Amino acid sequence: MNPAAALAVIAGLLVIATLAGVIWRARNGRVRDAGGARVNAQSLGPGVEFGSTATILQFSTEYCGPCRVAERVLGGIASERDGVRFLEVDLGQQPHLAGEFDVMQTPTILLLDADGDIRSRIGGVPRANEVAARLDEIEKESRVAAA
Amino acid sequence: MSPQPDGASVRTKKPGIDPRGPRFGAGITAVLLLVALFLGLVGATLAATVLLAVLALLFLWGAAAGIGRHPWGLLFRALVRPRLKPPAELEDAAPPTFAQGVGFVITALGVLLQLVGVPYAVVVASALAFVAAFLNAVFGYCLGCQIYLLLVRFGLVRRGQPQT
Repeated sequence: MNPAAALAVIAGLLVIATLAGVIWRARNGRVRDAGGARVNAQSLGPGVEFGSTATILQFSTEYCGPCRVAERVLGGIASERDGVRFLEVDLGQQPHLAGEFDVMQTPTILLLDADGDIRSRIGGVPRANEVAARLDEIEKESRVAAA
Repeated sequence: MSPQPDGASVRTKKPGIDPRGPRFGAGITAVLLLVALFLGLVGATLAATVLLAVLALLFLWGAAAGIGRHPWGLLFRALVRPRLKPPAELEDAAPPTFAQGVGFVITALGVLLQLVGVPYAVVVASALAFVAAFLNAVFGYCLGCQIYLLLVRFGLVRRGQPQT
């Protein structure tokens, strides 16, 4: 291959990689509605309890840098809200949960309502304001259901 | 073990590193991988293989000695970090160190396959490793996380047992 053609291949690779990165970043960390399945707190480990109004459940692994960032963001949100609990599961210790909850990337985060029903799913590091807004909705619905 | 509210079960208790260090290093590696790719494409196969072998050894260094002792990590601390503001937060060194191991496997396989006569092995390995390093440096994408999760899902690694 002559040098000009080689440079063209490299330019093409750069364009493809950049597009892939832009698409990945736009999709990553978005809060998505997720349907209904109920999570049993005991299935996550003995003595685990959910929050009284909502629970943030994060699936992580030991070698996942972004999980540490998500942990700080979500732990901070939970600590500011009464009745919201943040739980983190190490899939390295409980690998069966990866299959059970179909975890294809880390971190994967589930937002659960007071009953433990899955309401939202997030793949990647979430944006704090989007999680807070979704929790507001879940908490409001919990109060309406309880009333 | 049950999930920890504070994430203590997942976090390792080692001193943190500046998270910008590994991304700076990934940037340098990405540029060198593009050079290897260019050399491979124009037919300078020997030069491309040698350069990729050097990069494989650097990945091995990072994986074995820890990302903070990798030459790019040292370069970052000596030349770049003093010119930046202090980091907002320190990061666990284990994930980027694992990622160095992933980089080593990809680049070493490329060199090995090229040496046993597989055509374009160096070109393909350089391109793959470049995409991973580029996405990490520019977008913060973590290929190591995906690979590790796959290993967990296939039951190849388990926390608290010696890794094979």
